Amino acid sequence: MSAPLSAEQMAGASPTAMPADIEKAARRVERRQAFSAALLVLPLIVLIAFAFLIPVGLLLFKSIDNPVVAEGLPETLTALQSWSPADGLPSDAAYTGLKRDIEKAKAEGTLGVIGARLNQDTPGARSLLQATGRRLDATTDADPHQAFIAIDKRWGEPEIFGAIRNAGDRYTLNYYLNALDLTRNTAGDIIAKPEGQRLHINLFIRTVWVSALTAFVCFLLAYPIAYLLAHLPARRANLLMIVVLLPFWTSILVRITSWIALLQKQGVVNDALASLGVIGEAGRLALIYNMTGTIIVGTHILLPFFVLPLYSVMKTVNPNLVRAATSLGASPFTAFRRVYFPLTVPGIFAGSSLVFILCTGYFITPALVGGQNGQLISNIIAYHMQQSLNWGLAAALSTLLLVMIGIVYFLYTRLVRDQR
Amino acid sequence: MTSLVSLRGIQKTYDGKQLVVKNLDLEVSEGEFLTLLGPSGSGKTTVLMMLAGFETPTTGEIVIAGQHMTRLPPQKRGIGMVFQNYALFPNMSVAENLAFPLEVRKLPTVELRDRVEKSLAMVRLTPFADRRPSQLSGGQQQRVALARALIFEPRLVLMDEPLGALDKNLREQMQYEIKQIHARLGVTVVYVTHDQSEALTMSDRVAVFNDGIIQQICPPKELYERPGNSFVAGFIGENNRLSGVVRKIIDDECLVEIAPGVTVKARKVGVHATAEPTTLSIRPERVKISPQAGEVDTVIAGEVESVLYHGDHIRAHLRGLGPAPFVVKLPNTNGAAATLVAGASVSIGWASRDCLALDLMEA
Amino acid sequence: MFLPMSPTAGPLERLWHVVFSGLCLAIFAFLILPLVIVVPLSFNAEAYFTFTREMLSLSPEAFSLRWYRELFTNPQWAAAFRNSLFVAVGATLIATTLGTVAALGLAKLKPALRASVMILLLSPMIIPIVIVAAALYFFFTAIGLAQTLTGLILAHAMLGAPFVVTTVLATLSGFDWNLVRAAASLGAGPVHTFRKVTLPAIAPGVISGGLFAFITSLDEVVVVMFLASVDQRTVPRQMWSGIREQLSPTILAAATLLIVASFLLLLFAEMIRRRNEAARASTHED
Repeated sequence: MSAPLSAEQMAGASPTAMPADIEKAARRVERRQAFSAALLVLPLIVLIAFAFLIPVGLLLFKSIDNPVVAEGLPETLTALQSWSPADGLPSDAAYTGLKRDIEKAKAEGTLGVIGARLNQDTPGARSLLQATGRRLDATTDADPHQAFIAIDKRWGEPEIFGAIRNAGDRYTLNYYLNALDLTRNTAGDIIAKPEGQRLHINLFIRTVWVSALTAFVCFLLAYPIAYLLAHLPARRANLLMIVVLLPFWTSILVRITSWIALLQKQGVVNDALASLGVIGEAGRLALIYNMTGTIIVGTHILLPFFVLPLYSVMKTVNPNLVRAATSLGASPFTAFRRVYFPLTVPGIFAGSSLVFILCTGYFITPALVGGQNGQLISNIIAYHMQQSLNWGLAAALSTLLLVMIGIVYFLYTRLVRDQR
Repeated sequence: MTSLVSLRGIQKTYDGKQLVVKNLDLEVSEGEFLTLLGPSGSGKTTVLMMLAGFETPTTGEIVIAGQHMTRLPPQKRGIGMVFQNYALFPNMSVAENLAFPLEVRKLPTVELRDRVEKSLAMVRLTPFADRRPSQLSGGQQQRVALARALIFEPRLVLMDEPLGALDKNLREQMQYEIKQIHARLGVTVVYVTHDQSEALTMSDRVAVFNDGIIQQICPPKELYERPGNSFVAGFIGENNRLSGVVRKIIDDECLVEIAPGVTVKARKVGVHATAEPTTLSIRPERVKISPQAGEVDTVIAGEVESVLYHGDHIRAHLRGLGPAPFVVKLPNTNGAAATLVAGASVSIGWASRDCLALDLMEA
Repeated sequence: MFLPMSPTAGPLERLWHVVFSGLCLAIFAFLILPLVIVVPLSFNAEAYFTFTREMLSLSPEAFSLRWYRELFTNPQWAAAFRNSLFVAVGATLIATTLGTVAALGLAKLKPALRASVMILLLSPMIIPIVIVAAALYFFFTAIGLAQTLTGLILAHAMLGAPFVVTTVLATLSGFDWNLVRAAASLGAGPVHTFRKVTLPAIAPGVISGGLFAFITSLDEVVVVMFLASVDQRTVPRQMWSGIREQLSPTILAAATLLIVASFLLLLFAEMIRRRNEAARASTHED
């Protein structure tokens, strides 16, 4: 930054000779104002970066980061460089390298981690590596090839080396393949997983389906009450607004607890139906711990997110437009269909994309009331984070989920723009 | 009178492309009531904001009472300001609003109370001391804003269209009140408005702004009687414009040909040489209908297009003098308008001192 | 709660009017009943999650404060309430301070720049919470903030701050910046002006944003699940275990208390909002 102009410099300036200087001075003032404004925003940006952007970025990086095998079995990988499973068994150099790598890993205590990583692609690889590690000794030096096969006959098949080589890239797309139910055969080609192992695509489809259905049910329920709230006198509308807002302000856990009390087999709804004789004791309805439960509770939780944007759009619709339509001879229904409804479409877009996006990320509700078939993509991410400890896969699934949300958001902004 | 405020070589641009204020030099005398008048976007409010310290000039310097203010933040300038829409603090009572500048200056409580009371009395709001601004009428809010800007006894008070939100009657009353206070306290006032009658009635001097430049700065009477250029003539009051070419210059008068063979005598203001194109400006109330011989210097024939009755006066639009209707304003006395009937042919005339030859009006 | 009906309405329209009113009533019931039903159930004398025959016949023995007693005497619940309150207050203070200051800066930024900064600041509201929690787990473990209340407070502050930013920005959109200029022209420095003029004017936005941040933290369970140790469990985390492991009416008692708390917070927020609206209406009426 340069020092402010001195009085002489400014006084001596004539208007015709100035433009460049004036422009610079104006920019400087503008920059200084923008700078002081930015300074106020900075602390929050630091917090968001520290507790959100950096962590999420690092997590997403894990979806391609693959250091375990590359750093754990370096000599094996060097020996396998020009080998392909079609060549049959690798050269003795690979066995020698593998022996040295395993001994080093044993000494450093990383053998278990390497085994776990290989196990993600090849079930049984962990125990194979552990057992081999235990039984390797000086006698294997003479002919590691035969010694390995003696320890376990799987070392005499090319598949395991193919698996090591596939897992050996420092950066990998394998987690994404896995997340998309794809895999590599031993030759390294990308193929679909066998029928029974295709979990994720189905989960993505289910997540989209549940979210779309929830958004649609929310639309059906939100439209009438948003309309009512927008057209009642302010006093009564405010009172009813509290009914919409109270669930919004109440803990999700509380609401789920309530729904369990209402919907479970021995719950209030089933009890009431049974005592009214609508259903028999044996015919109690399975309303919760399944997909139905996820959708009912999801709708209840997300409904306010649809009502509020729709309500604010309805508030801006000029009531004289509908009056004009009826005075021009339209029936109330036609006036609604041709004039009022089209004007509230932006609110429907806002509400449905908000509900859809929030629902695709839903975790708590499906985890607690979804049972087996009501689980969504977030739940499998948590599963891979906490139980299977396949963090790369969890990261790849997270990235795909974010991409999906990004696409929906993009489509929404396009829709809004086309509306204008 | 000594100069209190000097603006020297001020230029201002917000975007680095367009100059909002162009090379302004302005002196304000101690105790003066100076009005900055102009259409919106003419730069007058920007000048006020630079004086107050809310904007910094891109070039140039501001000196107030001998002190360089150009880079001083507003809270250190000690200039009172009355804002458009008052800017009263809604969370404070009237008395608290008035006490605010005194608290900031750490005045002892006793003196502070005393000053607030006197100030309330000055604007006749003593019973409203504990009210919130939102509980006052527009005129009362305006008086609080005025009192608040004066209570810390600044030597200079800036007013940014302070009466813009008031209705006509209240506005006239407040104009009078502001003038009274100005006379009583002897404070220097720089006042911004786009209302010309406000500027004419209140000011010692008026600076007419247009396009970032002061077009003319002088006492109100001179502004109306002797506008310096065609913008000022058009902006202050009404005028009829006739375009023509200068044929001859005699001392401070000139002969202007307004139609082939029709030459009129005019006072020379914005013309310098013969054969120069010019705009003649004649105020509607200075035109005489069917003038007696010797009463006027110029006599011209026209045809009455329409007559409008205004109660205290009558306006007639005449055809045949230039492209626009020529407006004549007559006081409504003893049947002056009898001869004025649509379609009638009349002769009109004016004294050459009431006809100004100005610069050529563009467009 | 019914809309006024036109006096010239035909029979079909009258019928629709009745149907529509019934429909709205049902939807409002859907929204509010699940919350209301918990309250009487929490006074169940038996360990059931539903109304017993005795409760329905309103016999006094069917009701008891048993689950509330259990809630208040159980050290785990006591710790959970303490943790929740501590984390929520800490997170609210940070979120409100940073969010308010940021909103003041944002209001002065150029619209184009403001829009892109807003996307950055609001993205925590849209990103699935599991991803955020997993990411925080790795990062905070690496820097030693996992299993600390500080880590939880920072995470919850991050989740709550966007609410403060949006509510304060909304209040600022109706703020008369001339008030700040007036204060400066009267001699007040920036800090004094902020304390005496700006802050009182935007207080409704700050308070309701703070309330939002507070309930966001109070309601948050997923981040707690990933980051908190066993003795750092919060109330929702405790309820989570309750729902997953042993479903006991103690949860209903806790839920009732939380419903009452959120109802009070909501009333408070509405009161502030209305008072603010009333104040605005009266300043603009002339």
